[in-house]
Amino acid sequence: MDLIKNEAELREIYARWLDRATKAGFAISLVAFLVYVTGLVPAFLPPSELPRYWMLPVDQFVAATGAPQQWAWLHFLRYSDVLNVGAVALLALVTPACYARLLPKLLAQRDWLQLALACAQVLVLAVAASGLLAGRG
Amino acid sequence: MMDAAAIPWWIWPIALFAVSFAIGIVAVLAGVGGGVLFVPIVGSLFPFHVDFVRGAGLLFALAGTLSAGPPLLRAGMASLRLVMPLALVGSMASFAGALVGLSLASEVVNTSLGILIVTIAILIWRSRAADAQSVEADPLGALLRLEGEFHDPAAGVRIDWRTQRTLLGLASFAAIGFIGGVFGLGAGFANVPALNLLMSAPLKVAVGSSGLLISVVNSSAAWVYIQRGALLPLIAVPAILGVMLGSRIGARLLGTTPAAVVRQLVIVVMLVAGLRALTKGLGLWT
Repeated sequence: MDLIKNEAELREIYARWLDRATKAGFAISLVAFLVYVTGLVPAFLPPSELPRYWMLPVDQFVAATGAPQQWAWLHFLRYSDVLNVGAVALLALVTPACYARLLPKLLAQRDWLQLALACAQVLVLAVAASGLLAGRG
Repeated sequence: MMDAAAIPWWIWPIALFAVSFAIGIVAVLAGVGGGVLFVPIVGSLFPFHVDFVRGAGLLFALAGTLSAGPPLLRAGMASLRLVMPLALVGSMASFAGALVGLSLASEVVNTSLGILIVTIAILIWRSRAADAQSVEADPLGALLRLEGEFHDPAAGVRIDWRTQRTLLGLASFAAIGFIGGVFGLGAGFANVPALNLLMSAPLKVAVGSSGLLISVVNSSAAWVYIQRGALLPLIAVPAILGVMLGSRIGARLLGTTPAAVVRQLVIVVMLVAGLRALTKGLGLWT
């Protein structure tokens, strides 16, 4: 019975965080996109110029436009298109944030196996997000 | 054919929003993941390179599953206990798949994508769900305690479930994750049969847990595309907003629309889009 009760508690925590983080991520993405397409804030690569490049493979695109790779985009957040990359990247951070929120609860439940799995998952997503193994950049 | 370069840039995000909206509706009604429609359709009909389409496809599937996650978790249809080990294996494989996918020539990607989509269309056409059965857990499933309790309000029954063939299930999710990472797909088309038919999870738990799995697995591959610069907001954001809105409409229409007809339509669309990707990859029709 503990197993069912503990799982229900974890699901509720995960659902609550998922709900909040996803709504925030979408709201930020929408606002950032409107800022971008309306030209309110200058873009690193204006949307009107994109059709010249978007048929290129990503490596050629980066070489032709100088678009930032890895975490270099953090230095270009003053540009609306790069700001959008940051906003969309927030969506990819929702899952590790939800998993991280589960860790103290799993510790309190002394569910060592699930705790190990959750820690390993956070680690995998952190390595993926770090860009350390992402190749060129 | 009209020259894509002659079309004003702003037409493309509007068209992408419309297509993603339609995919969002149809995917819910047909019970398939939207990514499996998004990548071949957008890759075939829009002028974007397949690298950017795959990056947007991963975010497209990620956004849809993040949005659907909370109600599925609260209804007990998505099991964290079931998802955690499978997602761990799947996300590592998906990360590797994304690295491999971005190193492949676009002709290879389009040809393989075409073959994959046509194969999936045939599998969806042939697939049948298994009814929930009480099964004995296998040793690995018992060790990982892959079990749970699900109240099905539609049938008015409580289902105690546990998994079988867990090792094979883990291997399957590694393969599914890898393919999803290579092609930018959510892979719900494969998750549900793997959970339901292979591991014996009840169908509704399989469907709900598949969504949660995609949200974890795609997060890992999405970072590869983001870090490599394969995320163009002008493509990804209209797609995300379109699928979110479309999915909500699709969920409302679910009770009144003949799902079998929609499913047949999806199979036809997938066959056409898959064959288009195949001809593009083989250089027969670029």
